[in-house]
Amino acid sequence: MPEITVEKLYQEHKEEFELYLLTDGSGLKKKIETPAVHRPGLALAGFTQRFPHRRALILGETEMAFLASLSTEERIRLLRNFFSFDVPLLIVTKGLNPPKELLRLATENNTAIIQTRFNTADFMIQFSGFLDEFFAPRITLHGTLVDVYGVGLLYTGKAGIGKSECSLDLVERGHRLVADDMINVVKKSQNLIVGSASELLGHHMEVRGIGVVDIERLFGIRAIRMQKRVEVEVRLVLWDETKDKYERLGMEEKYTTVLGVEMPVVTIPVSPGKNITVISEVIAMNHMQKTYGENAAVEFSRRLSEKIQRQLASKRYLQSDYE
Amino acid sequence: MIEKKIKVINELGLHARPSAQLVQTISAFESEVMITRDELTVNAKSIMGVMMLAAERGAELLFRVDGPDEKEAIDAIEKVFASKFGED
Repeated sequence: MPEITVEKLYQEHKEEFELYLLTDGSGLKKKIETPAVHRPGLALAGFTQRFPHRRALILGETEMAFLASLSTEERIRLLRNFFSFDVPLLIVTKGLNPPKELLRLATENNTAIIQTRFNTADFMIQFSGFLDEFFAPRITLHGTLVDVYGVGLLYTGKAGIGKSECSLDLVERGHRLVADDMINVVKKSQNLIVGSASELLGHHMEVRGIGVVDIERLFGIRAIRMQKRVEVEVRLVLWDETKDKYERLGMEEKYTTVLGVEMPVVTIPVSPGKNITVISEVIAMNHMQKTYGENAAVEFSRRLSEKIQRQLASKRYLQSDYE
Repeated sequence: MIEKKIKVINELGLHARPSAQLVQTISAFESEVMITRDELTVNAKSIMGVMMLAAERGAELLFRVDGPDEKEAIDAIEKVFASKFGED
C-alpha cells in the first residue's frame, strides 16, 4: 500500500492546492495511508465512537463556526478528547484561521494544520481526486498501447514479434500511440484501467534496425495520446501451422484480468510480413459493435441454426407425405 | 485418396459450434479435405465453407481426404461426428 507523508504532500502540492502551513513543523513526518477524507464534525462535538481518525481531516466553515461558538474551557475539553486519537493531518479550508487552542493542541500532539484558500466543496473534490489517483492500484505492463478508432488496444507478445512495427503502421494510418514497450496502467475505478507512458519514455519507440525514434517529432501531435483506457488485449503469437487452434468463430469472448478488471483478449497469429494493421482496425470496430450490443458471429450462428431447423422440418414433412 | 460418406447424427446439425470443432479437427492434419453435399463442395479447413453446407441431422456428407495423413484424418473426422460434437 502506498503512503504519503504530510511533508511531501505539502511541499509538492502547495501551489496546486494553495496550501499554507500554520503549525511550526510538527507532525510533518506523519503519513496519510488512505484515499478517503473525513470532516470530523461529530468527533469535534464529542462523539468519537466511530471516528475514522486515520484519514486526512478537513475542517470547513461549519467546524470552525462550531469551535468558535464554544467557551474556551469547553473548546479545550473537546479538543483534548479529539486529539486523544492519532490524527495524521488537519486541513482548514477557505483560508480560515483556527482558534489558538486548536493550533496549540495540534502542535502538542505532533499534528500539522495546513490551510488552503479553496472553499470546502472544491477542495474536497480536487483533493479526493488527487488521493484517489495517488492510492490507485497500478502496474507496469510490457507491450504497446494504441488508440485505434477510440478503442484502447494493448498489444502483447514476445519481444521482436512486431508490436512496435504494428503500432508504427497504425500511426501511419492515423491512429494514436499512447506508449510503447512499457505501459503504466492505473486502475481508476472498479472496471476502468487507464494506460500511459512513463515520463522519461514519452512517445519514444525502438524500431529494430533503426533504433530509437520519437513518434511525436516524426508524425506530429496527431500521432500521440497521453493516456487511454485499456479495452482489448491483442496477443500476438507466432503462427504455428501444426497447432491451428486460433479462434475461428468468435462467438465466445476470452478474457484476461489486469488489476482485477476483466477485458477481452484476441489472439492473433502472425507470420513475417503479415499485415496486422487492418486486422487491428477490425478488432477495434468489432469491439465497438459488441459494446453497442451487436455480435456478428452470434447473429450469423443464429441464422445458420434457423436454416438448419427449417430444412429439417420440411424434410420430416416430405418424408411422411405418402400421397 | 479416401472417399467416405458420413451422416450427421446430432440433433442440431452442423451449426456454428460443431462446424468450428470440425474445422479445427481437420486443420490439424496436412491432408486436403473437401466436403460435398449435393452439388456444393467446400474446403473443410474453411469455417465459412463448412457452415455454408447448413447440414441438418440426417444429411449425408461426402468427405474426400487426400494427403500423407489421410487415414488418420478420416478416423478423426468419423470420431468427431460419432461423438455428436459433445451435444445431445
